[in-house]
Amino acid sequence: MRKKISPYFIVGSIFLLVIVLSCILGLLGAGPDPEKTNSASKLMAPSMSHLMGTDNLGRDVFARVLSASKYTLLISFAGVTVALVIGTVAGMLAGYFGGIWDRIIMLLGNSVMCFPGILLALVAVAVSGPSLFNVIWALGLVFAPTFARVYRTEVIKIKGRDYILHAKILKVNPIRIMAVHIFPNAFAQIIPAIVIGLANMTLSESAMSYLGLGVQPPKASYGKILSDAQSYITAAPWLVIFPSLMLVIYILGLYFISEGIRGDK
Amino acid sequence: MKERITYILSRVLELILTLLLVSLFTFAAFSVIPGDTAQTILGPNATPEQVEILREKMGLNDPLAFRYLSWLKGAFTGNFGNSISFNSSVSSLIVSRLPVTFGLSLLALILVLVIAYPSAVISSRRPGKFWDQVFSVFGHVSFAIPPFVLSLLSVLLASKVFGYFAVGKYVSPAKDFGGYLYCLLLPAFCIAVPKIAMTFKFLRASILTEKNNDYVRTSKSRGLSDIKIMFKHILPNSNVSVITALSIVLSDLLGGSLIVEQVFNLPGLGRLLLQAIGRRDFPLLSGIVFYLATMMVIIYFLADILMNMCDPRLRRNRGEL
Repeated sequence: MRKKISPYFIVGSIFLLVIVLSCILGLLGAGPDPEKTNSASKLMAPSMSHLMGTDNLGRDVFARVLSASKYTLLISFAGVTVALVIGTVAGMLAGYFGGIWDRIIMLLGNSVMCFPGILLALVAVAVSGPSLFNVIWALGLVFAPTFARVYRTEVIKIKGRDYILHAKILKVNPIRIMAVHIFPNAFAQIIPAIVIGLANMTLSESAMSYLGLGVQPPKASYGKILSDAQSYITAAPWLVIFPSLMLVIYILGLYFISEGIRGDK
Repeated sequence: MKERITYILSRVLELILTLLLVSLFTFAAFSVIPGDTAQTILGPNATPEQVEILREKMGLNDPLAFRYLSWLKGAFTGNFGNSISFNSSVSSLIVSRLPVTFGLSLLALILVLVIAYPSAVISSRRPGKFWDQVFSVFGHVSFAIPPFVLSLLSVLLASKVFGYFAVGKYVSPAKDFGGYLYCLLLPAFCIAVPKIAMTFKFLRASILTEKNNDYVRTSKSRGLSDIKIMFKHILPNSNVSVITALSIVLSDLLGGSLIVEQVFNLPGLGRLLLQAIGRRDFPLLSGIVFYLATMMVIIYFLADILMNMCDPRLRRNRGEL
């Protein structure tokens, strides 16, 4: 069967590639040192020597953006992994066993989702002290119920199928049924949720960094660069424009990819 | 009727359980903090006696369960205790910041409804055609812009192009209601944009599903106009599924408002929250968190009941998924 690739998927992949490339460039140490301040070159407009200009401390914005993309990718992927692991286990238990397990797990998940936006993650990080590790687990916990819900619905759909009944008749261990028979079949349905999760995780992370509770200075992150730039917004608009652009490209790329995946089905 | 009462009762039970869990989460978050709260408040130079006196005063020497119960009792009677850093009660601080945060969220919700509904109706009239494509592309892009980034960009645009600078100006609604709305309009718009896209997408899908139903064809063959079918039959039916989506939208608007307040320098709950974090004022922090979560629990509950009222089919189908 000929499969047409959705244009959304192509555009999304290109956007994502831009971010991954900038992350690789950042890791290879292209451009000047992102954390080196230089009082001689403060708030310089974009030019050949400073592609995206410099900030109020004379740091090269291009280098900072490259270095920030590394943390954005790291946090979004690590956070989604945490959320996925917790969400998968909880969702499968709730969906497979049903009854009281289902009630308890869903009630826990719903309670977590009652905290508006990033409030819970914000407070968790504020209380436990801002660090890369704390941001990842806090966001992971907050996003876990979303995955648990998707998994639960999938498991309920799958568990009535004949091959599961067959396995049950053969007295296969429920954990083995979940891990070997249900998990791989449900996983395909989870992929769009993962991509959307990455985008939402990035939105939350950038907001937290903006509020000063994400990646800590001198490390750069999009949100932090933007909050530093806010005081110079009229004097140096490039400080706001380039990091915003990168952030939007990453998130938009992910949304487009999820749209493309769903469109294929 | 009996069915409905049982349903509402079971939902109320769930509401109470959720509230208890939310309170437990909030309390637990602030009880497992590494280090001594009293020590944090007094700073590193405090003598052990001073710390001990404050511990006794704050009730930190009581057993954890006891502290939880007394906190819970206070929380449900609207008494969250006193703020450490502001020298006034937590509830009065929260109340004084409400006009900004709720005004913003409400204004944003109105914007969402006013913009998402017409565009979804126009878009779903001819799916795949020009206006649908325009709205959909617009929707995708606005979905991807974080509210605080949009705020920064709009501040930049407003100051560069129009010479209008809205940051840091706030008029209380009691003084000048028009001015109050005026200074909240731009921030509300920035929070609303991604949610307009979300509501639009949801509503459009919902209208398109409804359009394929038999009753639409029947109405058409009876000679009803497209507009009449849309407003009398399709939209009321789509609304049912939109209610849940809107309650989630409202939660996100509230969350977005907490952040955007910071960009526009508005004295709302978000600012108070960050001040509480900065000063490690945990009674205030837990009060705000619990208050906001409780609001959301109640809104979700009301949305659920409302949806149930609107769609009698849901009662019969309950328990399937």
